[in-house]
Parts: sequence; structure tokens; C-alpha cells
Amino acid sequence: MAEVTKSNSFEKTQNRYGWFFISFALILIVIFLLYPIVYSFYLSTTETKGMVQKFVGFSNYARLFKDPMFIKALKNTFIFLIIQVPIMLFLSLLLATILNDKSIKFKGIFRTGIFLPAVTSLVAYTILFKMMFNSGADGMVNKALMSMHIIKEPIQWLLDPFWSKVTVMLALTWRWTGYNMIFFLSAMQNIPDELYEAAEIDGANKAHQFWYITVPMLKPTIVFTTVTSTIGTLQLFDEPMNLSTGGPSGTTTGPGNSLLTLSVYIYNLCFKYTPKFGYAAAVSYVIVIIAAILTVIEFKVAGDNNESK
Amino acid sequence: MKKVISLLLISVMLFSTTSCGKKADESASKSDKEGTETQAEKSGKLTIWAWDPNFNVAIMNEAKTRYQKDNPKVEIEVVDLAKADLEQKLHTNLASGVKEGLPDIVLIEDYNAQKFLKSYPGAFADLTNKINYKDFADYKVSLMTLDGKTYGVPFDSGVAGLFYRTDYLEQAGYKPEDLNNITWDKFIEIGKKVKEKTGKAMIGIDPNDGGFIRIMLQSAGQWYFDKDGNPNLANNAVLKEALKVFKTIYNSGIAKVTNGWDEGCKAFNSGDVASVISGVWMTGSIKAEASQSGKWRVAPIPRLNIEGSVNASNLGGSSWYVLDSSKNKDVAIDFLNSIYAKDNDFYQKILVSNGAVGTYIPAQSGSAYSQPDEFFSGQKVYSDFSEWMKKIPPINYGQYTYEADSAIFALMPDIFSNKLSVDDALKKAEDQLKNQIK
Repeated sequence: MAEVTKSNSFEKTQNRYGWFFISFALILIVIFLLYPIVYSFYLSTTETKGMVQKFVGFSNYARLFKDPMFIKALKNTFIFLIIQVPIMLFLSLLLATILNDKSIKFKGIFRTGIFLPAVTSLVAYTILFKMMFNSGADGMVNKALMSMHIIKEPIQWLLDPFWSKVTVMLALTWRWTGYNMIFFLSAMQNIPDELYEAAEIDGANKAHQFWYITVPMLKPTIVFTTVTSTIGTLQLFDEPMNLSTGGPSGTTTGPGNSLLTLSVYIYNLCFKYTPKFGYAAAVSYVIVIIAAILTVIEFKVAGDNNESK
Repeated sequence: MKKVISLLLISVMLFSTTSCGKKADESASKSDKEGTETQAEKSGKLTIWAWDPNFNVAIMNEAKTRYQKDNPKVEIEVVDLAKADLEQKLHTNLASGVKEGLPDIVLIEDYNAQKFLKSYPGAFADLTNKINYKDFADYKVSLMTLDGKTYGVPFDSGVAGLFYRTDYLEQAGYKPEDLNNITWDKFIEIGKKVKEKTGKAMIGIDPNDGGFIRIMLQSAGQWYFDKDGNPNLANNAVLKEALKVFKTIYNSGIAKVTNGWDEGCKAFNSGDVASVISGVWMTGSIKAEASQSGKWRVAPIPRLNIEGSVNASNLGGSSWYVLDSSKNKDVAIDFLNSIYAKDNDFYQKILVSNGAVGTYIPAQSGSAYSQPDEFFSGQKVYSDFSEWMKKIPPINYGQYTYEADSAIFALMPDIFSNKLSVDDALKKAEDQLKNQIK
């Protein structure tokens, strides 16, 4: 009996220490994460114009559906999401497969080279892209394409609603493909060689091996990268902001607001227009809701068969 | 287990969306806790926020040197911030209600004046009886007045001018007199001739920039809003005409299309365009290309072919505001009053060294204003500019200029390509704007 009490009190002491040690982190999380989350939700139920604030319930959310600017931002964000994310993930998967091949030499150099864009600053690389994709005939990309006789007239990269979206997608792909590739590469280390050997004996070519071994074995990683890329795209801010004329103080974000994303819209609502922090908070909660829904869908589509692991 | 962890990770990431909007607060609350209380012998510390190190900040430093000669105990710190950063810091600080991080004096762009005054009632010091506003240009005082109270100290003028290359125009057969007091239609006609004879574009145009539209609107005493501040787009004859002119310039082939500030400057510095229509503050950027000295002149801006439009307008410009929460409010007001509203010599100095045209009328009879400028073929450009400044129609910009700009320019690609007529586009933009500012 005495033994039991002893071990109980020992456990208690241990628990006390445990709580003590994590309390610092917990307090910080509550102050800097939980409080802002709760407060921004409260904010989203108020109508603010600078300092003037009043409670309006959910009318900010109702108003969203009638706001053409918000709908435009939502549409733009989804265009980026639907087109850019699949292309990028497929590219990184392909690159990872190629770089995982045992017969390739200088793997380290290629891997580093492809990953390197991921360590550059978002603003710095966007500014470089803006210079490269100058719309005139003297822009680097235009010049290159024209001297290769691929195009005759300079492409209006950042002056045309369609091409400006293409430019952003190219920039995003350059920046994030290597980053996602690293996840695939590391996951590929866990695929046993025997599977490929057996497949080869059965007469499967490289394409078969890719589709029937690599892809299924990487499913958890694919889900993970899809979810992170989805969330990242929903929060897209730096690239459209910096690629658009005049940056934050420009008249529109990209020609005809073609680069207006939800996050840029939040910025505009807070700092460019007459500040409406309440409405901006509502928009940010919409991002959360959309991201949550998409994440659930992505998990469902991927199936639950990795539960057993 | 794996799934639980990844779900947790994802939910953390999800919620970081909502918390990211808060980051600005933290950086903005970097405060200066100095500043003493004695006001009798003018001491204490003033913090001033401004943008553009070659213009506003440099000029403020000149003002600081002058003031400190008589008031050695006043410490003044001019903080150089990017314009967007400054506005962001000011918004977050004022909205959070924390007084500590705020400066004593801040520079605010004229288009944004009403926005700040209306959004943060009581945040700025009422200077109605402290400054002699009769000495300043009318249009400038009216934009910083709200409910009969005037808040700012007027600073630089954005009086607009038509800068042009005499050599290109001569080749096309035009003399300087031919550009005086013309209409936009005439301007386009001249542009076509210039293009034909010299192969150069008449002007640089940025299809995403509202500058031209604002110049045209104010030249007719109109804005995106009526006198009561209600959106006035769909039935605004001046705005319709302005958009038509803008579209014609864009589609007529006389314009070189540019993207952003840098490309815009490059167009005239490299000699690709024959003219520039902008505020007087553009002078510095034009003169930056010294090899073009003697090849430029300035004419009044074209007027719209509509009744009430004059050959004078404004683009940009900004003013100084004192924060009401400032511990050294009286020193700050005294500082602005004794330099910006009294020191004639100061205005001569900043005109020569920074090309800044103040809106302080008495300064404009000073010596620097009547100096001929070699760069502009010996023209007395600054006395011309100050003449035009007096003719700028005073208007109330209201607090939603940027919202209106954005609503219209979002449809600009469709207007250019004729997918939308100007009338339909303005109707659409007005609906959008009304929703936006509700």
C-alpha cells in the first residue's frame, strides 16, 4: 500500500515539474496565438472605421457575398490554387524521381541547385522577377524569347491581366518546386528497393514503376505537400503585391486587379483604404474556413488507408 | 498517430492566417519614451515621420537646423520610412489606441488627409487658430479642413505642368507658343505629328496609374465624389470625358506604355518620350538627366474640352500634421509655425536645393522663384508654376480617393479593349465603390 502512495506522489511531483516546464510555452501560445485568434474573431463581428467601432454580428460575413472586390480576390486566389499547385507538385515529384535515380552523377549539386530558390527572400526574388519580366522589348525574358524567334512582339508580362497571372505562377513555381521536392526525396528513401526490383523482373518499365510504386508509396507525402501548398496559396501575398505596379501604393494590384488575392485584399482594407479592421478580420476568417474545408476534402480524397501506420 | 500529428500541424498553420494580421502591431509599438514637460523655454524631443529621403526628409532636416538655431534645447529626430510603411504604422498605432509609439509630427499625403481625420477623430491637433491659413493656397487648406476645423500645416504643392522636349517638338513643327493653354484633343493631335516626324512617343502612360485621371478631374474642379462626399462616377460628365481622353491616348499609339515609377522615369530620361505631364515635384527626376539640359520647357497642362476646365491642376502633394497625443504638442506646433508658416528664406532654400514648391504664398515673390533655369531653356519655371498654382480649383478629395481609383482601374483593361463602354464601366465601378465604402 505504502509503495503505491509513494509512486503516486512521485508521479505527482513529476507532473508538477512537467507542467512547470511547459507553462512558459503555453503562456506564450495563449498570448500570441490563442488571444489573437479569439480577438480577431470578435473583431470580425464589428464594423470599424479607424477608431470608430460598433458591434454588428455577422453582417460583415453577409456583406462579403455582395462585395465584387472580394469575389474577384477569391476568384484570383482560386485560379492560382487550381492551376499552379498541381503543376508545381507534379514537377517536384518528377524532379525528385529523377534525382533519386542511383545512376545520376553529381546528385548533390543538382539537389542543392533546385532547392536553393527556397532559401531566397520572397521580396528579393519577386523584385528580380519584376525586372526580368519587364513588359518592354528590353526586358530580359522578352529579349531572350525574341532573339530565339519564339515571339515577334514583346509580351506584356505585367501589363496584361492574363500574362501577369502567368508571371506570378512562374515565379511561384520557381520558388517552391525545390522546397516540395525535398519532401518527396526524403520520403523516397523509405521505399524499399525490392519493390522496384520485383517490378522490373515482372517487366514493368520506368513509367509503370513511377505510377504504380512511387506515387502510391508517397501518398502521405503528397497529401502533406498538397495541404501545405494549398494553405500557402490561400495566403499568397508577397508575390502579387511586389509584382504589381507601384507595389502597395499602386492604384490596382496588377492590371485590372488581376493579382488581387485575399491576403492583398486584407492589406488594402487595413492600410490602403479607409481602415476597416473588422471587415478585414472577416475576410481572414473566410481564408481559415476555406483552408479547413479544402484540407478535409484533400484528406478524404487521399483516403484513410494510411491509418494503420 | 501520424495523422493526428499532421492534423495538429495543419490546424496550427491554418490559424496562423488569422494571427498574421497582428504582426504589424508589435513592430509598430517601438516607442520613444523621451520627451520632457517644460514648455516655457521650448525644450523636449520631437519625433517626425516622413518618406522620401531626397525630398520630404531632407527638407525637414533643413527645417530642423533652422529651428534649432533659435531653440537649441529642442531635440528633433526625423525618421525616414517608406510611404506605405509609414501609413501602415500610423494606422495600427492609432487604431490600437496606444499612444506611445506615435511620433509628434507626421507627413500625410493630401489624398489621404480626410481619411485619417475622419477615421481617427481627436487624433490630430486642431490648428485652426494657431496657423495663419490665409498665407496658403486655397485648395491646400480646404483639403485638410473637417467640420470647420483645420488640422494640418500645408507643405508642398503638386501643381501640375506639361514638361516637353523643345527639340522633338521643333522637329514636328511646333513652337513653345503652340503648347500654351491647349486642350487634350490638341495635345493628342500634336502627339500624332510628333510620332510621325520623330518616331518618338509623345508621352509615357502607365495603364495602372490614376494620376492622369486625377489631374484631369481637378482641372475641372471635380472629383470622384460630389460635395457631400457621395460617389459620383456614373453621372460625372468630367470623369467620362477624362476616361475617354485616357483611353484615346492609350490606344492612339502616341504613348509609350510603362509599368511603375522606375520605367516611367526611364522613358523620359532616355529620351523615348517628348513630354511628361505630372506634378512640379517631377522636376527633380527630369533634371536628373543632365545631358538633356536646355532641351526642356514647361507649359500649362492641357484642359478638358468641357466647360469649367482650366489649364491648371494638381497631382499629389502632402502636408504636416501634429498628433494630439504628443507630449510636446506646443513645441511641435511652434516648430511648424515658425518655419513652414513664416520663414520665407526657408522656402527659397528648399526650392533651390530640392525643387520643392511650397504652398506658402508670400514665399513665391522671393528671389529663388524668379530665377531662370538653364535646364528649362532659361524659362522662369518656378514663377510659372506658382502662377498656375493660384488657379488650381479647390476641391474636397473626401476620404475614399484610393477606393475610387481602384474601382475604376480594375475595369481599365476592359475599357481599353472595348469590352466595356466608358458609361457601363462607370456604372459598374460606382456600384462597386458604394459597396466598398458602406
